[in-house]
Amino acid sequence: MKFSVEKALSSGGRLGLITQASKCGNITLETPMCTLFTKGGSAPHLHMDMLKRVALVPDVAAMSLGSLADHHESVAEFGKGLGEFAAMKNKLVFTTLHDASLALATGKNDNSGVAVWGKGGKIKLDTALFMKVQEAFQPDWFQAMSDGDTDRECGQKRLHKSVDRTLDFLDEIVEKMQNSQILSKSSLIGVIEGGFSEVERVRSAKETALRPVQGFLIEGFEKGNSGKDLFSHDTFSNILTTTIKCLPEDKPRMMETVWSPLQVIKAFRLGIDVFSSAYPHTLAEQGLALVADYSLPPSSQAARLELGCTNPCTEDQTLYTDLNIKFFLCFTMPNFARGCILCFTMPNFPKGHNFHQYFDFFHHLRKAVLEDKLDELEQSLEQQNGNK
Amino acid sequence: MATQGSINHALSMTILAECSTSKARASVVRLPHALVDTPVFMPVGTQGTLKGLVPDQLRELDCRIMLGNTYHLGHRPGPDLLEKAGRQLFSYCFSFQDSGGFQMVSLLELAEITEEGVKFRSPHDGSEMLLTPEKSIEIQNSIGADIIMQLDDVVHSSVSGPRLEEAMYRTIRWLDRCIKAHQRPKDQCLFPIVQGGLDAELRTKCAHELIKRDVGGYAIGGLSGGEEKAEFWRMVKISTDLLPKEKPRYLMGVGFAVDLVVCVALGCDMFDCVFPTRTARFGCALVKTGQLNLKSKTFAKDFRPIDSECHCSTCQTYTRAYLHTLANTEPAACNIITVHNVAYQLELMRSMHQSILQDKFPNFVQQFFLTLFPQKGYPNWAVEALASVNIHLL
Repeated sequence: MKFSVEKALSSGGRLGLITQASKCGNITLETPMCTLFTKGGSAPHLHMDMLKRVALVPDVAAMSLGSLADHHESVAEFGKGLGEFAAMKNKLVFTTLHDASLALATGKNDNSGVAVWGKGGKIKLDTALFMKVQEAFQPDWFQAMSDGDTDRECGQKRLHKSVDRTLDFLDEIVEKMQNSQILSKSSLIGVIEGGFSEVERVRSAKETALRPVQGFLIEGFEKGNSGKDLFSHDTFSNILTTTIKCLPEDKPRMMETVWSPLQVIKAFRLGIDVFSSAYPHTLAEQGLALVADYSLPPSSQAARLELGCTNPCTEDQTLYTDLNIKFFLCFTMPNFARGCILCFTMPNFPKGHNFHQYFDFFHHLRKAVLEDKLDELEQSLEQQNGNK
Repeated sequence: MATQGSINHALSMTILAECSTSKARASVVRLPHALVDTPVFMPVGTQGTLKGLVPDQLRELDCRIMLGNTYHLGHRPGPDLLEKAGRQLFSYCFSFQDSGGFQMVSLLELAEITEEGVKFRSPHDGSEMLLTPEKSIEIQNSIGADIIMQLDDVVHSSVSGPRLEEAMYRTIRWLDRCIKAHQRPKDQCLFPIVQGGLDAELRTKCAHELIKRDVGGYAIGGLSGGEEKAEFWRMVKISTDLLPKEKPRYLMGVGFAVDLVVCVALGCDMFDCVFPTRTARFGCALVKTGQLNLKSKTFAKDFRPIDSECHCSTCQTYTRAYLHTLANTEPAACNIITVHNVAYQLELMRSMHQSILQDKFPNFVQQFFLTLFPQKGYPNWAVEALASVNIHLL
């Protein structure tokens, strides 16, 4: 994996290109981008056949180890890696530790390893098992083992330990990688920890940057998905900025946080390049549809970004968004439905539709930056969101 | 030798071929929104859509008719929205069928039945709703399905005596109210329902009454509720013996492969059941040799598709081993296995249609049973039922 900056903003954000992104080295990706969120290696609720019908699906599928690690022996015997095993042959596979949509079960990590969680319960990974699993999965990118079980409440001592552990794991993995023919083409993603401690964040970033990693995943601000807006903590933006300043420019920075388009814009401005698409999934789980117009100027009337299932008809008679009953009359609002081929699919509709909206947003985000219209896009979304 | 059925209704049936041995027949049923080859299996979509599937997938499976539930649709989104949006809601589906009374049994603790109708308490919001025959038809008229069902007084198949008799006669009285209330006979075909539980005499009486009415087809109801199979098939046969040949016969709630094959032999044309979709949600895939419980460890390293001969997108895409990992953890498995199970049911029906056209249906039945029961441990009831229409298993 190689990363180059195409265009940089004064705030730290940048348009970039990830070249030689895959193991075979032949894929180029544009950032900012999101990965395809999966559960058990599949887009939640979506048959591969249906996923193919969603436009702008990302080239990289993020697959968390929790639900998959247990099956590494089957995948090893299969012999062609996790991507092909999960019928995602045409995607790059990015193995992450945890399901980005869920909260972490906390207190299970120690110096010997970290716990990941599947339906079958806890799987304790030490670096030996971790590497065995990765060798079976043959990912294009893989997140190094990390102790991200920290948040704002954690004290200095805990954060120090989390940074130390994560660096120790990384060193062991780097050493083991030297003996692994199978993983020689895979890109190792180093993990930055340190909670809300600037000192620990800087230490984690600087130390990780010294190791042979191809990209950085920043985590440990919350214990998995907390459902809280990280930007509501007044120190978050500063700490993130300080952290990113310690990272080299020529490697991509990733966050797996569940973020709305507006939050993505904020994080992008600070210098994050690669995002998760867990957000549209978590919305759909709550029966919410992502409805916005990302074009500039918006070609449709202002609408809230998210439409809930309570009293759907009171504000606008043309919108029926009670997704609990699985009816969503996209055909009554063609402006929102542009290009959305999944608007009538009922049970799976929210997933397919929300995914499509989110992927479409990244397309427009990149376009807006290229055309120096990021402020306009942000304002347009804020207006549609009713924040003004 | 095509036999043309009634032309006064929104439905007309043309019998393409009849089995020279059994009572099976292959037909084409013309509906306002579809031409349907029978025998046909109709997957069930509770709220107007098949759980786990999207319209495009149904279309690719060449599924032309499915079933929705008046009771559920009547509650949510409710008749007002249905009135406004009408059939557009279901425009993805080539045809659509609707039933009224069955939920009375499944939700019986929520229901109170009087001559006027059925009083439900909504499981959604606790409000009361009186479903009269007129109201049922009104809702079904607004939904706009090609085939609509009379409201019937369904009792559990274990009920006998006065309550069963009452239900049967009430079903006939309600049919007359339904026929009277039906506003769109040119667009929608109303099916009456043969009731009478496991009582041959009541069922005969009921069928005799129904065939006096001018309707486009008939349903056989009140079965498949857990009764003995030996009684089940006899009730089916009594009903098909009495119902006119030139109109379709719809056996409600039947969907196990064995039952489908036997009841096609007994002269039924249309079937619906939640089984193939429900069992998919439990990780069960249907194959010619029975079922694969994909949750079982047996499949952890089985890198074959569910059925290597199946053309569905699931079998073209996924291995048993991967579905094993998914079935134990993720909801995507439900969708993926559902696609296959619906494909399996539709293929089974197509094979029967074809074999009847070629007058090879008895042979098909024999092979079907031999594949499913290689040790020939055939269920007795099926052997008896098939023998009653001159098909003898190998």
